[in-house]
This record gives sequence, structure tokens and C-alpha cells, in this order.
Amino acid sequence: MEIEFTLNDQQIATDAPPDITLLALLRDHLSLTGTKEGCEIGECGACSVILDGRVINSCMVLAPQVAGRSVITIEGVRGAGGGPNDMQENFIDYGAVQCGFCIPGVIMAGEALLTHNPRPTREEIRWALAGNLCRCTGYQQIVDAIEATAQGRANGADNPGDHGEG
Amino acid sequence: MARFDYVRANSLHDAIQLLNDPGMVSKPLAGGTDILVYIRQEEPWFDRLVDISRLPEPIIVERDGTQIYLGAGVTFAEATRSELLNQTAPLLVDACRSVGSPQIRNLGTLGGNVINAAPCADSLPPLVCLDAVAHIRSPEGERQVPVSQLVTGPNRSEVKAGELLTHFSFATPPAGVRSTFIKLGRRNAQSIARLSMAAMGRTNAQNVVDFARLTPGAATPRTERFREVEARLLDQQLTEELLVAAGEQATATMLEVTGRRWSTEYKELAIRALAERALRRVLHNGHGAC
Repeated sequence: MEIEFTLNDQQIATDAPPDITLLALLRDHLSLTGTKEGCEIGECGACSVILDGRVINSCMVLAPQVAGRSVITIEGVRGAGGGPNDMQENFIDYGAVQCGFCIPGVIMAGEALLTHNPRPTREEIRWALAGNLCRCTGYQQIVDAIEATAQGRANGADNPGDHGEG
Repeated sequence: MARFDYVRANSLHDAIQLLNDPGMVSKPLAGGTDILVYIRQEEPWFDRLVDISRLPEPIIVERDGTQIYLGAGVTFAEATRSELLNQTAPLLVDACRSVGSPQIRNLGTLGGNVINAAPCADSLPPLVCLDAVAHIRSPEGERQVPVSQLVTGPNRSEVKAGELLTHFSFATPPAGVRSTFIKLGRRNAQSIARLSMAAMGRTNAQNVVDFARLTPGAATPRTERFREVEARLLDQQLTEELLVAAGEQATATMLEVTGRRWSTEYKELAIRALAERALRRVLHNGHGAC
């Protein structure tokens, strides 16, 4: 069936079966493989994307459900020049990435958090990441990187994110 | 070939019609957090999913006089953010906050939580404790069923094929009544309740209990108010001994219903402690002896 929606700020129309997940639509039909397939039962958060401004598991949404809505994936998070944005730079600087598999989902959860709560406490950052499993880092550096991003944005540093929804 | 079809309902009327289309088995799709897990593991038993997640009616939270109307399509996250629910039903907000993860709370709905009727459904004890009523629509009109009777046992609900749970209603608790929800899980996030406890209560100026409700979750096949515990508390002076007696009554009531099961050794102690803790929270007014 034809599915029209906004993907990373671009209007698209695609043909897909009605019984696949948003995750399968993104990865298998649209070749956006930044969104990772982990548990497929809504527990690990590797497939997190932002749907109408809120972070969700793309394995828990049917593809046709996004018709007429806005989806932001990790491919839509980038700096003004197309490279990493400030949060992604901070993940590199703070050593928040080891194997990297969970990181696209973690970044989506982090961006969604800062959209709705621009100055979170460390405790709030930890709660916001409760749906994203990382088996490498122990989360400490991830929390540091998100905290630094929030501080940077509050201090008026460039926020090169090119979309308003985070 | 697709294993099932999908159609989006544009209105409540439309949804009821689609759910009753002859010649095919249709199932409503709201938050999807249970259905999507199901269709990954099993061959679907339905021919078509009717998407009701975009209907305006079921996502409303509003007050009409003393009644609160709570749409079945309200997500856990929306419930957590609702000022009205924070004022009138903090126990329900606590329960919604304890569900899954931010990602799940942004999708999962109160109606789906109740209808799927997992024994550990977090919103069930608060709704039963609030004496909430479920409003169910069908081509014949609307019927109302208390939430405590809607869920008849593990994964079984009273809602029939072709019917749609649209919203819940409950009376605003009387002034001064406090409420709480406590969940015992294996960790803080992404946890399934092993046991939970919803409680509402009030003591008067003489430190006498004049309002008490207690509803354990995941303790009995049906989620119900433990009226023996409530009766034990009402019109009594609030003392430490009374709270201990109420906790012991909670264990006794659970055992009456379930008998001794494999989990009883754990639950009989845990339910006593949870009941005591929840009741202390809602009844203790800072003036009495305990």
C-alpha cells in the first residue's frame, strides 16, 4: 500500500506491505540502515526514532501507521555542513561510543529529551535513557555527553541540528 | 503476500463499522506495543487491523462536574503529563510513569493495557481502586462495565469482538483523600510488576480513618478492591498496630482467593509489606502516633 509521510523533513511516498514494521520500512525498503534492529520486542531501544516529536521504538509501530506523520531517524540528525551535530561530536569527545550499535537509538532518545527538557538533571537524563540498552559503556560517558550537549546549547553554542524536533 | 490487512478509522463511527464488517476478523490497533510483539511471534488470528490511534475522541482527558473522563487511547506518557490526572488521580500517574520505557510510554495506551488484561498491567490496580467504569461502544450503542468486572482473569476481558472500549470515567476522589501506587519489579526501568499496590485513604482531625481503598495488582486473577482490608481500617484510630493488621488482612484475603501457589512464599510477605507501606503513605497525616 502507498504510504506518504515526512521523513527527515522531506515529504516521501513509498509502496510497502501493510504488515511490516516502521523499522523494516526504514531499513529494508528505504535503505536507511542507521536505525538498528535489536530485540524487535520494544525492549532494547536500538530502533528508536522520533515520531511527531516523541521518541518511540520503530519495531512497535506498523509502517502504514506513520502516514501523514513526521519521522526523524539518525540520518536526519546532522550538523549544518552535513557532518555530526553537537551531540554527536560530544559522544565522540566523551568516549560515549564503543561498539556503537545502540548509539543511533541513544542519540534519538537524547535529542528527544533535550527538545522537551533543554536543561535536564543527570537523573532525568538517566530516566530518559531507560529504554536504551548499552552493553559496552555503562552509560556514564553517554550521560556525560548528553549533559555537555545540554550545557553547550544553553550557553548559546551553535546548535547545528537542522530540525526543530530533536 | 501480507499476513493481514490494515485500515485506518477516521471517526469513532467509522471504527465501529470497520470492526463489524462481515466476512473478516478485525482487531483494533491503538498503541500497538502488545500486538506488534504478538505478530512477530505468532500467526495472526485476525484478517485486518483497524487503526484507532488517530481518532480524536479516545485521547481526551476532561472533567465534567465531579466525573473525570479518560480516553482509552490516552498514552501512558500523555497521562503522566496531564495536569488533571496529576491533581485527581496521582496513583494512576505513578502507575503510568512506571510502565516500560519512554519509548513504550509514548505509544502504549491505557485502554490497551486494560483490554490486554495482563495480570501485571500497571494501570489496572489504580483504575479499579478509583472505581473506574469502562465505556464500551458497539453498533447497538454504549454499555458501561466497572473495570473490576471488565477484566475477568489473566488475558481475558469482557469486551467482545466488534466492540470498542472508548473511555473510562471515575468520580473525583473526595477532598483530602491521598493516593499512591507502589510497584515491585526486578529493576526500576523496563520492569514487569511482580506485585503492585494501589491505595487511597484519608484520616480525619481525630486521626481516625474515614476513607480507605486498597487494590493489589498481580496478586489475584481478577484485580479487585480488598474490601476486608478496607473494612478493617474504616472508623479506626490510625496506629502502627492497625497498619500491621491491615497488612496481615491483605495476605489473608489474597490466600482466600488464590490458595497456596508456587509464588505464595514470596507474595504473602511482599503483599503484607506493600499494603502496610502504601496505607502508611496515604493515611499518615503527620499528627498521629505513626
